[in-house]
Amino acid sequence: MTHDTSRRCALRALIGIALAPAAALLTAPTHAHGADASAASSLSLSLPVAVLSAAPVMILSAGAMLTVVAVEASASGTVWLLRRVSDGATASLRFSGEAAAASLVVAGTAISVTAIAAGWLLSVAGEVICLVPNALGESLLYNERIR
Amino acid sequence: MNTATRLMNMVRRALCAALAVACLIAVAGPVLAGQNCEPRRPSLDSMRRDLALAASVAAQLDGMAQRDGTRVVLIARAGQDLGQYGLRYSHLGIAYRDDAALDGRGAWRVVHKLNQCGSSRSALYRQGLAEFFGDGLHVHEAGVVVLKPELALRLAEQLKDDGVLTALHEPRYNMLAYPWSGPYQQSNQWAIETLALLAEPAVTSRAAARDWLRAHDYRPTTLQISSLTRLGARVSSAHIAFDDHPFGRRMAGQIDTVTVDSVFAWMQRSGLGGAPLRLRTLPLDRPQRRGAVAI
Repeated sequence: MTHDTSRRCALRALIGIALAPAAALLTAPTHAHGADASAASSLSLSLPVAVLSAAPVMILSAGAMLTVVAVEASASGTVWLLRRVSDGATASLRFSGEAAAASLVVAGTAISVTAIAAGWLLSVAGEVICLVPNALGESLLYNERIR
Repeated sequence: MNTATRLMNMVRRALCAALAVACLIAVAGPVLAGQNCEPRRPSLDSMRRDLALAASVAAQLDGMAQRDGTRVVLIARAGQDLGQYGLRYSHLGIAYRDDAALDGRGAWRVVHKLNQCGSSRSALYRQGLAEFFGDGLHVHEAGVVVLKPELALRLAEQLKDDGVLTALHEPRYNMLAYPWSGPYQQSNQWAIETLALLAEPAVTSRAAARDWLRAHDYRPTTLQISSLTRLGARVSSAHIAFDDHPFGRRMAGQIDTVTVDSVFAWMQRSGLGGAPLRLRTLPLDRPQRRGAVAI
């Protein structure tokens, strides 16, 4: 798997997690379910294909605040143009192929950056909208349906 | 009793039955609200903790691989609180180190079976530890059983073979499937039936896998589930059925099914694996065995 492909898969998977985390851990103790709590995150199977079009790592410092300058949706995908509030540095984040990424943010949305061991979490009002994985994060991410 | 009275009684009974079902659904509804798979974003804190656990488990498994040559483990997550059933873990997979992944850097992959959003269907997946632990956890820890070396050696390459992994997969899903017969298969059950397939070349069917599991003294967990609870679950949940359980045991409220905890106990008892380990999140500069606590 190439680096780009790996990153694409990683982002797709992570956004899958971001959009469908709860994925139905069904159950209630009062219901006798739960011996096998195995609900799939179905949305992780059909989430936006995301690609970093220009490495934004330089603006992803811990605690940074970013502003969405623009959201550009096209047939080939969605691009978020981001600006760091502190110094105006910009970068873009691209999600290819699918439309879901376009609805996550709008121009003017404030995004917080949190650095973690696996990369950077981008969040809005405390909810994660995307993870940008580093090498460790990439090694933790993989999603393949076995047929 | 005249005809009018009989009709009134029938109507009354029908209304009572309908009311009972409606009440059961009403009770069931809120607690099952998570199964419609509506998109929800995780909190920053939960995602940070999930990924920290995934990273730490990977580091600890890497440490075990370097130290002991560990290549294959059974791995479990605690997706919900099952304490009232005496259970710690809710879901089981088989993890292996794929040395060829990431252009030779290697990575841990988990093969497991997932129910599709509360439906009666399921599918198999090969995922990373982030996905495995990213589905919402009740407790941030991993349960791990290291397979004995000769068994691990047999499994290591076969776990990359999708044809082998799908051989005993039954898509019809029942969260509380009976282990010894029947048309359904839950996730933990797929894992141990596939373990049987991988361990013993003579196992080529689910029936043969069940025979192998019996011969190796696997014992399922018996859950005590009342008739009212069974009815409520069956009415409101497509992924729960009881018609595969023997009539007598079902009527007695004794539901046998495959649980992680029963599998872990069996692995150690049978000598197929080691003592269950509990891996918790550690700082990544301290990934060694201090984090692994024998259960």
